Amino acid sequence: MRKLYSNKPVIFSLVLPGLLVFLFAVLAPICLSVYYGFTDYSGMGKAQLVGWDNYVKLFHDEAFGRALENSLLLAIGFICIQHPLAIIVAAVLDKLQGKAEGIFRCIYFIPNVISVAVIAYLWKFIYNPDFGLLNNLLKAFGFQGQVNWLSQQNAIWSVLIVLIWHGFGWGMLIYYTGIKNIDPVLYEAASIDGANWWTTFFRITLPLMKPVIQINVTMAIISALKQMETVYLLTNGGPNNSTQFAANYLYQQAFKAFKYGYGNAIGVVFIIICITVTVVLNSIFKDKQNA
Amino acid sequence: MKKKLMASLLAAVMSVSLLAGCGDSGKNTQPANNTPNNTAQADNAGSDAGSDAGNNEGEKITIRLFSNLPDRKNGQGLVEQMIIDEYMAANPNVVIEVEALDEEAYKTKFKAYAMNGMPDVVSIWGQPSFLDEVLDAGVLAELNEADYADYGFIAGSLEGFKKDGKLYGLPRNTDIQLIYYNQKMFADNGWSVPTTYDELMALCAEIKDAGIIPMAMDGGDGWPMACYLTNILVKVAGTDYANIVRNAIETGDFTAPELVQATQILVDSAQAGMFQTGYDSQDYGTTMNLFTNGQAAMYCMGSWDCSMALNEDIAPEIRDNIRAFTMPVVDGGKAGANDIAAWNGGGYAVSASSEVKEEAIKFLNYMYQPDKLSKYGWENGVGMSAQDQTAYLTGNETELQKQVMDILKNATSVSGTPINDCGSAAFKTAIESKIQGVSNGSTTIEDFLAAMGAACE
Repeated sequence: MRKLYSNKPVIFSLVLPGLLVFLFAVLAPICLSVYYGFTDYSGMGKAQLVGWDNYVKLFHDEAFGRALENSLLLAIGFICIQHPLAIIVAAVLDKLQGKAEGIFRCIYFIPNVISVAVIAYLWKFIYNPDFGLLNNLLKAFGFQGQVNWLSQQNAIWSVLIVLIWHGFGWGMLIYYTGIKNIDPVLYEAASIDGANWWTTFFRITLPLMKPVIQINVTMAIISALKQMETVYLLTNGGPNNSTQFAANYLYQQAFKAFKYGYGNAIGVVFIIICITVTVVLNSIFKDKQNA
Repeated sequence: MKKKLMASLLAAVMSVSLLAGCGDSGKNTQPANNTPNNTAQADNAGSDAGSDAGNNEGEKITIRLFSNLPDRKNGQGLVEQMIIDEYMAANPNVVIEVEALDEEAYKTKFKAYAMNGMPDVVSIWGQPSFLDEVLDAGVLAELNEADYADYGFIAGSLEGFKKDGKLYGLPRNTDIQLIYYNQKMFADNGWSVPTTYDELMALCAEIKDAGIIPMAMDGGDGWPMACYLTNILVKVAGTDYANIVRNAIETGDFTAPELVQATQILVDSAQAGMFQTGYDSQDYGTTMNLFTNGQAAMYCMGSWDCSMALNEDIAPEIRDNIRAFTMPVVDGGKAGANDIAAWNGGGYAVSASSEVKEEAIKFLNYMYQPDKLSKYGWENGVGMSAQDQTAYLTGNETELQKQVMDILKNATSVSGTPINDCGSAAFKTAIESKIQGVSNGSTTIEDFLAAMGAACE
């Protein structure tokens, strides 16, 4: 059998399907994107090469800048709010044991199971200034006046809350699995030595969770960059691009504004940013692992 | 030897499975192209068989209709489906397959179709923001304008569907920009319909003081607010409206005093609280509900929403009290009360690459026979068609329908295409987003107008 795997036709035939899929479903579209990024193609009719025009315009495009800023904000929100909370909740869940553990695990994971469209509309109603849950709660506590949760100034924070809440269960589940994989003997030893909950958390749980945290952080940053569907359904980038994200902006430009060439230029810059971020993150984590 | 045999066997299996994969995908795409997913016809299978066999006899013909009206049971979609069913009953050899998507999805897929094989009859919009790129790509068939001399099209309604004097599509509706109001609420509170914009502002302040939302505005979508701006601009500029907008879009210079004044009025209105809190992030349905639930006294939308008066889902005390007025005159503006913001937007066209072009045009002409789209549309309360409808009055019209009919009958001038649809699609996208910023005060009027100019390049 081993000889079989060193037989070149076999290797070739086994690799070929994957290679073909990669070539035609990934590489070719990317190459086409790069090509269209240099044209003024509207999506119909003929395309004309316009050189670097699209890229020059893109670097002066306020809305695109805003989209990247928002992605950064979201990534920070994920890393500084969602993930610390997720780790703590996962650790607490692990300690709960018994029925409660399963029940709470399910409850926290529910938002992830619900379709994005439902989530978006649910929050649209919660945020509604006239009949929304939030303003009615405030009213019940005696607050007068209406808070406009999706106003130009507030919208991005309201959107971040939804995204952080929505992705929370997923992050938690991965951390929870990570914690479950830690050898319980370590905890027993620690408790015999008289360590309290915080000490075991900081000295055992966290250090042993490093690989899981690395994966989760990388995924969080990539998902912050790729954010599209919730924002599209919740605010569609508005008001006035205040909640714009790169993928949503790409869609708007390519398919609504008939600027397919420009949309592809956004796509290319977007791919470069994603790859750069992944490479940088990997090298950061690698350094730490070596050190 | 054994291993070599096994190796070549494995390789053979791989390549066979690969080929099988290719073959399958080829087979799958074939019917997917022929059979649109949202087919309204039950006898699809029959139609496929028919088109195969039809080559010998030249009998069976399948026309593919791509529509932006996914609701086939109400309003305009129902009217369209009624005509289709009638046509098929009258022409048993013709099968019409419908694929319907809502507007945004429709426009996206339209583009995909434009690249590779358009259905035979399609919904279009006779406005530069949609039609310019489509006509440049040459995907629509030319129609013979002389054929439509007796169809009763309202003067000027075909203009938006022409390029270089050639006709490429036909308009379906006449859309009038209206301010709907709750007559009972007005009467109960002693409010009266404003005749000037200042009166409207004063009225809104009064309504707000009564704890009611003065006017429900769908600002989340951008285009209704752009239509509102159009409406103000028409009142400011009068019949110069079209020239001012055309000139601004051609030169990229949006500093005309009329544009500045109109934008200023919009901003002042929004800042004074004319619209509901959070109007700039709320969608169509939410906004309409504010009005139909009685939370808002007025609602700004086009005449297509006249069907509210027939909508069983709306409480009768509100449904029966919906009335409408047009934008009141602006102090110092050039337009009178009867110079209105109205246009012919949506319509139909035939694909240039259609294999059954003649039959498709025949069907198109059938739809536009005055006693079809116009008559059925009127009877179903979907608003005004682009054709003369006076012959189809039933006497059972709602008060709202009569009012809208009078508005159109008494109009001394109509504006034509709203500002957001006068430029390219890129201009449309820009103005519909930026108008949120200028109305909520996060962008200055100068910056807004400059951004409009920049989007015209």
